[in-house]
Amino acid sequence: MEYRLKIGDDTRTFTIDAGDEGRFGASCGEESYSVSCARVSSHHLSLDINGRRVNAFVIKDENGKTVLIDGTAYLVQDADRLELASSGGNRRDESPGEVTSPIPATVVAVRVAEGEPVKKNQPVIVVSAMKMEMTLKAPYDGVVKKINVVTGASVMPGSVLVDIEKSG
Amino acid sequence: MFKKILIANRGEIAVRVINTCREMGISSVAVYSDADRNALHVLKADQAVRLGGSPAAESYLNIDRIIEAARQAGAEAVHPGYGFLSENAEFAGRCGREGLVFIGPPADAIRMLGDKITARKTMIANNVPVVPGTFAAEADPDVLEKEAGRIGYPVLIKASAGGGGKGMRIVSAPEEFRDACISASSEASAAFGNGSVYIEKFLVKPRHIEFQILADTHGNIIHLFERECSIQRRHQKIIEESPSVALDDGLRKRMGEAAVAVASASGYVNAGTVEFLLDRDGGFYFLEVNTRLQVEHPVTEMVTGIDIVRQQIEIACGNPLPFRQDDIRSRGHAIECRIYAEDAENDFSPSPGTIGFLKEPSGPGIRHDSGIYAGFTVPMEYDPILAKLITHSGNRNECISRMVGALRDYALLGIKHSIPFLIDVLRSGAFADGDLCTDFIGRNFSEWKPARERVDDAFIAFLADELSGERETAASMFSDDGRSSPWRTLGNWRV
Repeated sequence: MEYRLKIGDDTRTFTIDAGDEGRFGASCGEESYSVSCARVSSHHLSLDINGRRVNAFVIKDENGKTVLIDGTAYLVQDADRLELASSGGNRRDESPGEVTSPIPATVVAVRVAEGEPVKKNQPVIVVSAMKMEMTLKAPYDGVVKKINVVTGASVMPGSVLVDIEKSG
Repeated sequence: MFKKILIANRGEIAVRVINTCREMGISSVAVYSDADRNALHVLKADQAVRLGGSPAAESYLNIDRIIEAARQAGAEAVHPGYGFLSENAEFAGRCGREGLVFIGPPADAIRMLGDKITARKTMIANNVPVVPGTFAAEADPDVLEKEAGRIGYPVLIKASAGGGGKGMRIVSAPEEFRDACISASSEASAAFGNGSVYIEKFLVKPRHIEFQILADTHGNIIHLFERECSIQRRHQKIIEESPSVALDDGLRKRMGEAAVAVASASGYVNAGTVEFLLDRDGGFYFLEVNTRLQVEHPVTEMVTGIDIVRQQIEIACGNPLPFRQDDIRSRGHAIECRIYAEDAENDFSPSPGTIGFLKEPSGPGIRHDSGIYAGFTVPMEYDPILAKLITHSGNRNECISRMVGALRDYALLGIKHSIPFLIDVLRSGAFADGDLCTDFIGRNFSEWKPARERVDDAFIAFLADELSGERETAASMFSDDGRSSPWRTLGNWRV
């Protein structure tokens, strides 16, 4: 059994030799790991990796699994599944070309008008969440086609707040 | 003593106040917005009253609703916590007129100290040193720009009605002044309903040192020593400690006396904090008074052994302070780390969402003041503070080690938070050396990324999790409701 996994830019292929009672062997290139795993609770694994004890906390979301070890979080992704998802027309990490709020927020200011030419990185919308203001900038030079929100509107990640037609 | 207190706040500080009420045999009344129906402070209180919708203006800032809730519940006193209405003179005055005791200073003292410019003038009149700057609230950027030129760059723009770093900007050159001024004013206007700003000389590598004070209604004023709060991001404190390595006994005594003089000059009653900037030559300058319980009050509680919330309640009841200045001793060292729902790798941007898993650290000298639990959805409407971790130990080095251990033991999953960043700051040589200043983060940790030393273990943990099968739990069920799914698709999206 093989797994191709990815943390950031680091992609590795692991070959698994599954054993009994939470034991398994894993190898990756020259490295080999003898692992024994006890599930303490649904998100807490007690691991023995080549004789070293490790507490790992794991939670799954749509991006992969976040693994927390000694206070540091690692987003571990299944590289095969990622490729499958992106070839399936899933445009999840597409275009930085849209003006959208990264988190649920409220619009506090609209800095441009329809028909106005904008430069890349020019502030177009200011949103507020958790008492902090964030300025959303134009992703490229262009012309503001349409403003889809008004001051005071609640917006969610992914919704396009301003349509900008790319120039050049 | 009061029989029932309403806590006009939410999150960890509401829980903190409820705990002391319980110890004192006082019933607690929580208030909540729609987003907080299941918040920890609501679960912990003896009674809970809904205020209104999720936006703070409809709930935690709605004076009429809070007064009505207090009446409805039969509370005799109101504890405002920090933030929200805690430094609102109108609210304090209204409580008084409605026959409710406001657990905090008199409305007049809040008004005087809350207006940073009046406060500065009062301090100068009482021989307390202040940072050079302007003395009039101003909204016209042209006038301010001239003043900035007169004081000399770098200057700091601050909101007259401000606090917590909102509406604050550092300007290092004249050509940056105008834009900074306009954006500070707009932020101040949004946060406080008042866009007036003033300017101060910006000191280079200053430390933020503040003194906790307690003043009773009988004219007794004491201080509970200092806290150093130099570690800040976006002008908001993230790590605080007591004592400060920058103070010797002489300086501590002088600053403590100045703090008491400040309280005395302003007719102060109850707990408050006098903030100073300390420059590299031991010169200190009055900054402002926070007329409320501070977020970082636990470090003082740890080193002095005094429950500040209990003292606030006793003072509000009219009781005299049970100790004099000479009775106050500081023992060992305490550090507080604020756990925020934010992404330190991406400019500390807020990260609301549902907490999938939480395991709190424990052990000798570890205190966790928390407003969260597994399954709780952290709302986008309020401040991103989730909890505070406080450690106490014999000396600073031991205290740092204890904090690093506690942070590493702290497992919080489902949202981005500041723990990995805090660990790296505490482990840094600069922090260990005590070479702190208010721009410590910018100087030492700009463009920070976590060290990620355990990549191999993380890969193996992923495999172990796959192979040992996952189980659905109550906590993860919460995150499956439609409400929270947008948080989960958030990923690494950035504009």
